[in-house]
Amino acid sequence: MPATGAPRVNSLALLILPSALLFALFFFLPIGLMAVMSVLTGNPVVMPHVGFTAKHYARIGNDSYYLEVIWTTLRIGLWTTIVALVIGYPLAHWMARIRSRSGHALLLMAVLAPMLTGIVVRTFAWMTLLSDKGVINQVLAALGLISTPLQLMYNESGIIIGLVHIYVPFMVLTLTGVIGRIDERLEQAAENLGASPWRTFLEVTLPLSLPGILAGSLLVFALAISAYVTPILLGGFQIMTLPILIYQQISANFNVGFAAALGMVLLAISLMLVIAYNHVLGLVSGQRELQ
Amino acid sequence: MTASSRRFSLSRRRLLTAAASLGAGVIAAPYVARADEAVLNVTGWGGKWGEVMKAEIGPAFETEFKCKLKTDTALPFLPKLQASSRSAPVYDVLHTNSNEQWAAVEMGLVEPKVDPRLVPNIADVYPYAVSDKIVGVCIFTSAIGLGMRTDKGYGSITSWKDYWDAKFNGARGGYVIPANSLGQAFVMMCGTLFGKGQTDLDAAYAALEKLKPIKLVDFTGAMEKLILSGEAGIGILHDSGIYRYDGQNQPVDFVTPKEGVLSLEQVLSITPGSKAKELGNAYINYMLRPDVQKRLAETVWYSPANKQVKLDAKYDAKLLTTPEKVSKLIQVDWKWYNAQKDEIDSRVNRIFRA
Repeated sequence: MPATGAPRVNSLALLILPSALLFALFFFLPIGLMAVMSVLTGNPVVMPHVGFTAKHYARIGNDSYYLEVIWTTLRIGLWTTIVALVIGYPLAHWMARIRSRSGHALLLMAVLAPMLTGIVVRTFAWMTLLSDKGVINQVLAALGLISTPLQLMYNESGIIIGLVHIYVPFMVLTLTGVIGRIDERLEQAAENLGASPWRTFLEVTLPLSLPGILAGSLLVFALAISAYVTPILLGGFQIMTLPILIYQQISANFNVGFAAALGMVLLAISLMLVIAYNHVLGLVSGQRELQ
Repeated sequence: MTASSRRFSLSRRRLLTAAASLGAGVIAAPYVARADEAVLNVTGWGGKWGEVMKAEIGPAFETEFKCKLKTDTALPFLPKLQASSRSAPVYDVLHTNSNEQWAAVEMGLVEPKVDPRLVPNIADVYPYAVSDKIVGVCIFTSAIGLGMRTDKGYGSITSWKDYWDAKFNGARGGYVIPANSLGQAFVMMCGTLFGKGQTDLDAAYAALEKLKPIKLVDFTGAMEKLILSGEAGIGILHDSGIYRYDGQNQPVDFVTPKEGVLSLEQVLSITPGSKAKELGNAYINYMLRPDVQKRLAETVWYSPANKQVKLDAKYDAKLLTTPEKVSKLIQVDWKWYNAQKDEIDSRVNRIFRA
């Protein structure tokens, strides 16, 4: 007679073990170490006497400059997400509903093609377009429309243009899958009942695609606030974001503790925004499970 | 079964085992052969410096001292040294500019000075190379002045103060001060030009504020590109950043301001926990040899620290190769600067934000 009290291990659960270990090793451990470093006076591995301190967090809270940097980072992330959504949604809708297989393939290629080039290369391409001696300013000057170059980069707008170009494919690909799974008969039923195409979109398609909007927006927002290359090149080092400040603290100030504290603040704010975003979208769509 | 089949019976298992052994042997052979070979871990630059070090200077050192020279050219170096064990540091010899050497010595990551008894060529260096402003020993220096385009009709530039001229608004190149040695040295120069001296930060901040609009870059290589492309008409640059385009018909020139040039030192120091200190000292001595100094100086346009070096006329005319020329160098008090770095960084980040 088998022992009934002994716990039985599901063999399928063992398959999850490697990925769970990998996740713990490369996700939780680094974040845990960063959290610990942010409250220590030094690196315990190489320094003999290390204690706990809140000075790194106090420095962030006491100096308005760091709060401004945090707000700049979030502002760039939010604008990038909004613009990527506005550009990406119609494209994703078109891709999801196009009847022609070759048309769908062409659109998919058009969305994926930029991703085959590295971020640095794409950012440099934008610099050749937007700089003072860039294509746009040269053309406008040649046409006699401007006498001094337009300030198209070295500002937040330049950064947002570059980030949107890089992250729109993430938004489109996320949305296409969700919109493609919406039952078209629901839209047809709405139109049969007298709704205009616009009202059908607003009251049927848009609410049903909210999970895709949520997922795509979170993906783009997370990528945008952690971007380093594009903000540093298109911002001309004059727009300070948290990733740039964190790198500066490690590479030039050698202050790992303060860099870790900045990283934890970025993580905490991002988590709060994600929770709030979920909550708001859940209320708007009526999909309580989103909360 | 015949005798021959017994002798050469080859099963799949044997074949795989033999292939795996052979593969492992091939991969391991160089490491086994070099098992007893001493390794010296150093830092170094890329670009022309890296090319000549990799092609000539490094291999010649390896042959002479029967060792392997491993050079890390991936910046930043100090955080890697900071994260490594004090008793087994990732580098034996640290090559950086002076500001980082001072940060390293403050953290106990490098030894303050190099022993002249172990590095005999130190006897031949200019006094600035072992002055109290230097950690370790300086092997080369560049003059930090103004790089500018000659095709824009800016006229004659003779002073640092010309950098503030309104005609350069929008065409002025500067540095991300927290990350760049030249930018940091320039802060001290601002204090000298407009205040009571290098440490007059209030005067420096006021002067920096008046430089806007300005285009910022993080490395000298980026500044060179900014000037070469015409995005900037003038920028703070070391002489080698302009002289290296000699003979390429580029409309650029280096200006030595009348107030003097700042010193951008290439410094070597030994890490306290290094297990190859003898080899490290030999490397520093080797880098100070006249023939090595001459080859590097004439490749990258750095001024040699060894006063015995005789450069070809073309280089001798432009580089700092005499006591009179060297006397124009203004050395920065990096120990003082690093103590104020957090405050300075915070302030200049605010000044230059868009």
